[in-house]
Amino acid sequence: MGGYGDVQCIDENGIRLDGRTKDEVRPVSIETGVVPVADGSARIRWGLNDCIAAVYGPMEAHPRKIQRQDRAVLDVRYNMAPFSTTDRIRPGFNRRSREISKVTAEALESVVLTELYPRSKIRVEIEIICAEAGTRCAGITAASVALAHAGIPMTDMVVSVASGKVHDIVVCDLNKEEDNYGEADLPMGILPNTGELVFLQMDGDLSPEQFQEAWDYNMEAAQIIHKEMVRALKGGDE
Amino acid sequence: MSIPLVPNLLRAHLAELAAEDKRHDGRGQFQGRDVELEINCLPRAEGSARVRMGDTIVLAGVKFQIMTPYPDRPNEGGLMCSAEVRPVAGRNWEAGPPSAESIELGRVVDRGIRESGCINTEDLCIIPGEKAWQVILDVFAISDDGNLFDAFGLAAIAALRSATVPAERFEVGEDMPLDVSKTPIMCSYHKIGGRFVYDADKREELGGDERIHITLGDDDHVHSLQKGLKGIFTAAEFAEINEQARSRCAELRDLVNNALEGE
Amino acid sequence: MNNRGGTVSIDPRRTAYVPRPSDLVVGYIEGCTSNIWFVDIGGPFNAILPMSLGPSKAEFGGIRKVLDIGDAILCRVQEVEENHSSVVTMKGMGLRAIRSGSVEEIDPHLLGRLIGRGGNNLRQLKEDTECRVVAGDNGRVWLDGDLDGIINARDRLNALLTEAKIDDFGGEA
Repeated sequence: MGGYGDVQCIDENGIRLDGRTKDEVRPVSIETGVVPVADGSARIRWGLNDCIAAVYGPMEAHPRKIQRQDRAVLDVRYNMAPFSTTDRIRPGFNRRSREISKVTAEALESVVLTELYPRSKIRVEIEIICAEAGTRCAGITAASVALAHAGIPMTDMVVSVASGKVHDIVVCDLNKEEDNYGEADLPMGILPNTGELVFLQMDGDLSPEQFQEAWDYNMEAAQIIHKEMVRALKGGDE
Repeated sequence: MSIPLVPNLLRAHLAELAAEDKRHDGRGQFQGRDVELEINCLPRAEGSARVRMGDTIVLAGVKFQIMTPYPDRPNEGGLMCSAEVRPVAGRNWEAGPPSAESIELGRVVDRGIRESGCINTEDLCIIPGEKAWQVILDVFAISDDGNLFDAFGLAAIAALRSATVPAERFEVGEDMPLDVSKTPIMCSYHKIGGRFVYDADKREELGGDERIHITLGDDDHVHSLQKGLKGIFTAAEFAEINEQARSRCAELRDLVNNALEGE
Repeated sequence: MNNRGGTVSIDPRRTAYVPRPSDLVVGYIEGCTSNIWFVDIGGPFNAILPMSLGPSKAEFGGIRKVLDIGDAILCRVQEVEENHSSVVTMKGMGLRAIRSGSVEEIDPHLLGRLIGRGGNNLRQLKEDTECRVVAGDNGRVWLDGDLDGIINARDRLNALLTEAKIDDFGGEA
């Protein structure tokens, strides 16, 4: 988070740069089956984010050392395509991607019934085709839909969204400028049926009241996005 | 890529089909799958294309960077082609360092574009000795149902032809289209059950033998050739597929031209 | 959506195959030692076929002459052990190496539709195409007969899959 320069993220009427009010979520649309050769797949378009997730498995866990006797392991890879950002990203090992892969796996492992498939692995491949703030949230959300599409039993899906703060105002679902210049970022991974959490990170500065506001925004946004997830899985002609 | 198990039954079945001039999905020997081409589909890239051939789906993006010309070539910019098959594309594509298959794919695609001379690196010069454009083409497989070579080749050239040089963003002038002087197209032929077929899908690739990739430019000029995998073929076989490639490459070139006109 | 004892499911249009004892399955030989074959049966893990349960005995060092890597077999799941590795057997009526025809893969949850009530659909398919059609519980279907019959059977199988997608979703899958 740097200084604003002369970027005004929210104007005196409460309208943000992309036309939203402080409590609105960016437009979200989800499709399934976008990787026809995968066991399950989903695509999420969220603001300018375009993210694809594919699931393969359960399958034999190779190499043997990653096998667990009592359950399946989730082998998650989060990656940003070189052309996903304004400045090209060199392909190859990336510490940020490694961290996001790990927290994504941990979020999903909390809901997937891995005990049903001991000694096997389930691959989750997340590719960010176009990035606009909140890519890790888009990744987790798309991965949940892909897992459901693949018929992998879960106790619930995970909906992930990040709210934050700009010009001392709490806003729902940060866009690119707000993520770059803003004062706080609170991404959460929520189980929409119970309101429980499987993923939580935070950066910046939020007062107790602001924290609660951002938290509530995420909870509300999760319900909206969850509806779209279910609609996509049901084939969309409801 | 982990070496997939080749079911012997599949090979026998494909050979049986070939003997009767049939393919397992009902296509003709030189009939390709339906092709979808979309350009300018990646908002953050300066040029882009998405190709779908059957269930094989590939994306290509063109990005520009400013580079310092090499001392021995002060008037030239650069072109870099990077092709990747990430694990998302299939069960047999695993994470880790690029496999030999992946590397061959990247290099064949790169040669098809570069060797055709469709991009003149001297045109990419901004200030001799100081600044030049580096054009970076990234091709990316999302779903592998066979014949990644042709899908990559088509996406690559379509993306280049759709590209706009972002001079304004880098404050070196006005935006203008990237000058691409020709449209090289790749066609791949796999030997299945003893004869060459065009546009093999995954099953055919699995049960097949050697493959030949032919890149032709405008006016049927040959720009690159590659034979892959183990196997022997005759001059007559090559002549036949070269002939087939001419008409198919022309068709695909029209597809690219139409897509660009529609913009 | 249903809520089932703590699990929320959205009537998955796909199920991963998990082997159960007495399942009839089509497997592919992936590897072997001197007296065991490793069989890919499409589940989360490979199964074991000990030579004693194989089609015939081999002399020492000759196991691959009996069943080679890449061969397809029709076998039955004998047991699924505590640590979830399974053993398959080829001793039993009709179990054998598959040396002709073609194997198609469909999602296991569509087997019901393929077979039909009392086996009607399957019987009809066999009659109409004059092919042997053996539906493995792991979703692998063995088609055997003359080439045109196999092509016909495969087309009908694909039609069934497309139909199933439309029924599940009332639109595009």
